[in-house]
Amino acid sequence: MAPLKSWLSIPSDSHFSLSNIPFGIITSKYSQTEKRPAVAIGDHVLDLQAFATGDGFSGLPSLKPHLSVFSQPTLNAFAALGQPVHREVRKYLQDLFSDTTSHPQILKDNTALQKSALLPKHETKTHLPMQIGDYTDFYAGVNHAFNAGSLFRGPANALQPNYYHIPIGYHGRASTVVVSGTTIRRPNGQLLLDPTADPKVPTFGPSRRLDIELELGCLLCKANPMGEPVPIKEAEQSIFGFVLMNDWSARDIQAWEYVPLGPFNGKNFGTTISAWVVLFDALEPYRADKLPNETKLLPYLVEPRNDTVFDIQLEVDLTTPDGSTTTISKGTGKNLVWSFPQMIAHHSVGGCAMQPGDLLGSGTISTKDDSGLGSLLEMSAGGKKEIMLAGMDVRKFLKDGDTITIRGVCGGEPGALVGFGECVGTIESAIPFP
Amino acid sequence: MGSGSWLEIPPGSHFSLANIPFGIVTTPSSTEKHAAIAIGGHVLNLHEFAVRGGFSGLKEFTAAHSAIFSQSTLNDFAAAGQPFHQEVRKYLQKVLAVDTSFPEVLKNNLETQRAVLFLRDEVTVHLPMKIGGYTDFFAGKNHAYNCGCIFRDPKKALQPNYLHLPVGYNSRASSVVPSGTAIRRPLGQFLENASASRSTFGPCRRLDIELELGALLCKGNKLGQPIDVNDAEKYIFGFVLLNDWSARDIQAWEAVPLGPFNAKTFASTISPWVVLKDALEPFRAPGILNEAKLHRYLQEARQDNVHDIDLEVQLKTSEGETATVSHTNARNLVFSFAQMIAHHTVGGCPLEVGDLLGSGTISGTEPGTLGSFLESSLGGKETVRLSESIHRKFLEDGDTITIRGWSGTDSSSLVGFGDCVGTIEPALQVFE
Repeated sequence: MAPLKSWLSIPSDSHFSLSNIPFGIITSKYSQTEKRPAVAIGDHVLDLQAFATGDGFSGLPSLKPHLSVFSQPTLNAFAALGQPVHREVRKYLQDLFSDTTSHPQILKDNTALQKSALLPKHETKTHLPMQIGDYTDFYAGVNHAFNAGSLFRGPANALQPNYYHIPIGYHGRASTVVVSGTTIRRPNGQLLLDPTADPKVPTFGPSRRLDIELELGCLLCKANPMGEPVPIKEAEQSIFGFVLMNDWSARDIQAWEYVPLGPFNGKNFGTTISAWVVLFDALEPYRADKLPNETKLLPYLVEPRNDTVFDIQLEVDLTTPDGSTTTISKGTGKNLVWSFPQMIAHHSVGGCAMQPGDLLGSGTISTKDDSGLGSLLEMSAGGKKEIMLAGMDVRKFLKDGDTITIRGVCGGEPGALVGFGECVGTIESAIPFP
Repeated sequence: MGSGSWLEIPPGSHFSLANIPFGIVTTPSSTEKHAAIAIGGHVLNLHEFAVRGGFSGLKEFTAAHSAIFSQSTLNDFAAAGQPFHQEVRKYLQKVLAVDTSFPEVLKNNLETQRAVLFLRDEVTVHLPMKIGGYTDFFAGKNHAYNCGCIFRDPKKALQPNYLHLPVGYNSRASSVVPSGTAIRRPLGQFLENASASRSTFGPCRRLDIELELGALLCKGNKLGQPIDVNDAEKYIFGFVLLNDWSARDIQAWEAVPLGPFNAKTFASTISPWVVLKDALEPFRAPGILNEAKLHRYLQEARQDNVHDIDLEVQLKTSEGETATVSHTNARNLVFSFAQMIAHHTVGGCPLEVGDLLGSGTISGTEPGTLGSFLESSLGGKETVRLSESIHRKFLEDGDTITIRGWSGTDSSSLVGFGDCVGTIEPALQVFE
């Protein structure tokens, strides 16, 4: 894909090339309390509230009745305008930043508007991009499901009989979703130190098996009324865009609590998402086929096309408290057996009401081999093997002070990368419990 | 004994002067949602009442509160804190009392009465709060035991974790609807029988109810900051009845290992009138004894940590015949809401104003006291004879389920919840 050239200086390795235009929520150095929408472009951020006030959208008259969406503290109102509007706005902004822009007077030659609206990224702070009414986590990374299942039940029984028939999922806790950069506190909880003991008597204390889960997040832009499922053919239109997600997990708390109602406190202490929502259109060129599913799917799950996941290069870095960083995983976002449209169709098939701002997690994404595993549980073979880090340090699970950075990017051509920025969190020690 | 109010309150009313529950209504004179209380067969519109200076006799009701009952949810009122709820409730009781010291506010003020009092039949009820998170627990020990027996040896009916922690799962906030909302039978995947090798897709064939109590919160905690079990009651705004409609066949196929999902997300009904924590205070009782030695964070100082509330489930067929399905009591819980709150937040999970917690299905131990058809039909094996003519294993299209709950034995001072109702509509025609 030939890079789009901008009059703005954009580093060639930036995730936020002119081919991207992701949306987020910011505050800035000179306006620290008012959260408002923005797009990331190179090392800059375009403050959409200031841009709209400064007539930046004058070249897009169809948007005029809706400009108030750019004064909201979340992207929900903008998302609710629907994909056709997102498409237009993105194309318009790409044109404004293009070195051959058809509207140079709006921004390229407008130093006043640049001063008020085009901010250096280091002068801004990001916040949660949407008001998330409900968060659902799926389990579509089959390699992870197989690896985790094997650890608990052996390879022959690793995957449950339902696995290839249903994109199974569980409800996460929306109030725990935080933006990249938020500190994650190690949770206290009940854990079984000796799972083989009989009777089982749990101890209480800080989780000793604190883990990550490398996932993709999907944010919705469309509502379906309660009782009316979203047909699979229309499900892509419900999608606003994508983020990276780290579904931090406390494996020991999870193991003790999860029968029969599923994971709860093992997940409820924090879930981090990256700050910049990459729109559906920006990922369109990077479609890829799903992992094979030999089951004959029920019609409500059959997609009109198979390339409904995305080839996103994913990377996970672990930085220890002394500052040394190791890349512990390099995988791809296409390692999913179910797509987000299938998850949406399944989620709503019984009539569940979904809304703009709802977040769906893909489930942990792992490669089939060891090069790109999505969790320390897998990398350490259930806590039995040491993960080798740079600087002679080792890990089985996370230690206090560890920082995990997830990165994702599509494409390889300098100047044309479409990426997510970073999804970061540092572990703080558990609070001492009285 | 009189009702204690100058307003006529029929004996046996759930909305006696001892109650004063809060809700959100639209009325014949306004399509905007506003706060209200239920009193006897009437509803008192608090927005109109406030606008007309009705709260002038309450010194705690300051200018800062002037818009609190004009909002479309009770969240702002809840967030004002329990001391404020107590003052408002006491004041309204005084205004409605037959010997009121504020007769000019309402008793002798016909103009205000015309503007603020409506018959309950005249108003439409809505969801009382904006619910950001809905968590369902499993603290009805008899229900957990009965369900376990359907699948396992009775000696192993309860999972090893059951008595050690209040097991729960995040449910779907968008599924919560107010009483009266039609409930469409969900479509989904399920196994036709135990030996099926492929799943079937179609309307759920084992549609069930779950009789529960719901708690709505008035206070939240920050991410990373657990709530102490002996403080937890300060976080509760009030209580509602909850019907956690369940699709048992869809549940059986999907639930391992991540728990119930589509089996629950199609709908959950709550009663519209939030009974404040204070109103139920006289009805405290100890719950089911927990033999396990609890960890300190779950050790609650007070023993009477649940409530004595009579619960009743009625079924009405599409032909209009009715039968009582179940009669039990909300004491049948082995964990209290305070313990659920402490457990929910022990790892740092943030709860917020408006969050809904479900107790889990409440059942007694005998037939006729069970909170779900799964239990009364022994897992779908036996047909339950609810009456001469009404026989059921699970719900049929057109069935209306009404859950009612009340505390107290004096018919002039019952504290009850009104009705929590839903009628089953047929599934959508299979759309492919």
